[in-house]
Amino acid sequence: MAGHARDDAVNALLRLPARNRELALIALALLITTAGFAAVQIARAEALSWSPLIAAALFAAAYLAAHVALRLYLPDADPYVLPITAVLAAIGLIEIHRIDPDLARDQGLWIALGLGLFVAVAVAFRDIRRLESLRYTCGALAVALLLVTIVVGTEVNGARLWIRAAGLQIQPGEFAKILLVVFLAGYLRERREVLAAPARRVLGVGIPALRHALPLLILAGAALVLLVAMNDLGSSLLLFVIALAMVYVATGRLLYVGTGLGLFALGGLAALQIAPQVQTRIDGWLDPWPDEQDSAYQIAQSIYTIADGGVTGAGFGRGLILNDAGGTIIPFAQTDFIYSVIANEMGLVGASAVILLYLLLAWRGFRIATQADDGFSKLLASGLAVAVAFQAFVIVGGVVRLLPLTGLTLPFVSYGGSSVTANFAIAALLLCISQRANRERG
Amino acid sequence: MVDQALLLLRIAVLVLLYVFIWRIARTAVRDVRGAQESMILRPGQGFDAPGPRPTPVPAAAPARPGRLLVLASDVLPPGAAIVLDAPEVLIGRDPAAQALLEGDGFVSARHALVRVRGDAPTVIDLGSTNGTFVNGERIAAETALDDGDEVAIGSTRMVYEAGGA
Repeated sequence: MAGHARDDAVNALLRLPARNRELALIALALLITTAGFAAVQIARAEALSWSPLIAAALFAAAYLAAHVALRLYLPDADPYVLPITAVLAAIGLIEIHRIDPDLARDQGLWIALGLGLFVAVAVAFRDIRRLESLRYTCGALAVALLLVTIVVGTEVNGARLWIRAAGLQIQPGEFAKILLVVFLAGYLRERREVLAAPARRVLGVGIPALRHALPLLILAGAALVLLVAMNDLGSSLLLFVIALAMVYVATGRLLYVGTGLGLFALGGLAALQIAPQVQTRIDGWLDPWPDEQDSAYQIAQSIYTIADGGVTGAGFGRGLILNDAGGTIIPFAQTDFIYSVIANEMGLVGASAVILLYLLLAWRGFRIATQADDGFSKLLASGLAVAVAFQAFVIVGGVVRLLPLTGLTLPFVSYGGSSVTANFAIAALLLCISQRANRERG
Repeated sequence: MVDQALLLLRIAVLVLLYVFIWRIARTAVRDVRGAQESMILRPGQGFDAPGPRPTPVPAAAPARPGRLLVLASDVLPPGAAIVLDAPEVLIGRDPAAQALLEGDGFVSARHALVRVRGDAPTVIDLGSTNGTFVNGERIAAETALDDGDEVAIGSTRMVYEAGGA
């Protein structure tokens, strides 16, 4: 039908070099997905079902649709962000399939929904400046979401990070994180001048006026309140580090970063006394073995699982992930501990590849920030890149016992609707910023 | 048979993963070769920056126009000055601006205007996105400049030096 009816518009759509590079990389990502799914299917021959095939088909269709949407709406945006998310999501989907085929079907659905949100955000904020006028709305929403979580949230695995609504479990922190970054980008762009410029000079050292530094102190205080209220070190640390990173990008002053981290560390030590879960996690981090069957069971099993994988892994479907009852040996293996499962079945080689993928994603994010022309875009892009990279760092560090364990998800990889959809919204915002910067540079 | 197939698929996935990573990582070389840009908006290297500080130049000639001496800037060298020798001096990224602050993402095309009437110049913000600051305060209306006032536009921080008689 369209054989001879190709007009200039269609030709223009096909000629986009950035998008063609993206398509080639998505094809490679789908090849990885296919090989991984085939391996799990072969290994789990006894449990063959349609669910994973539906998930894989949904996955491929959703990514191709998102790619076409970018061709139409963000033709000049960064070509690497979407394929990197595809490989990360594929690795997660393969391992979730390996844990439970029905979970994989759900995750396939979440990824498709996430990519739907991705397209919606990409279309709505094609002109990223539109988001800047919403900064205070976003800030208020972020605070509201966090407050709701604290007030009506349910504790899962010790941390109060979820709310239950209409039979669904939602993790509002994932969305609050994005809204907070948008707010901070708008706010810091406005206040950069006064924050960066010392109002007083005391013995030759520039000190900002107290009223301008006050928001920073409030942020540090809020992060500590979250630490206690949510009973989770990871979430509060993540939000606070994002804020500090953005303040640094805005002002270029390490003084703020150092002061902020110092305040958080001091307050954190005090807050530990009233947050029992955090104390348990820190004990399990320092020495899990006395409580191996008890409070440190998860982290101990995680270490066994990772060690069991060796250099090249046990192979898809061949790792010791499930117990005799069909459940996972590590509780929450599909969410918090997905990285241990990856390390088990894909080995050090595969687990390192996942870290490299986050490195690439962070690099693209920071590159988009350096190329952006306006302060809001720079702040937003670097804040979002830090959000994804630091979250990956905290949870991977948690499961390998580099850091105390926390209840964060591994972006794009972990099972879960809130986490997956929120991260796709981040990817879309990065591409919107990239589109504007690349177009202006020609 | 199943084991061989699984081994093959495992190797295939790991190899493809690293092919994917390599295909993106190699483009980083281009970034390193290109001009280095900073992600940081504008380093706040105002008064407390180490190194030589521009010292006020003593009056050399009579009827010298006032000027805005650059203290710190990402786009102008320190010690540069915007000489206020016209009735109106436009500051911005617009190529037509008398004081061109090219390449500063925080400067609007037509950012601010300095009007010179008699010996008391005034500065007006032309609806810029990021504002014009006099002595650290964002100005809302036309603001008169006194000798020694600090004017900040984007990353550029300047001090006003009145002209000689």
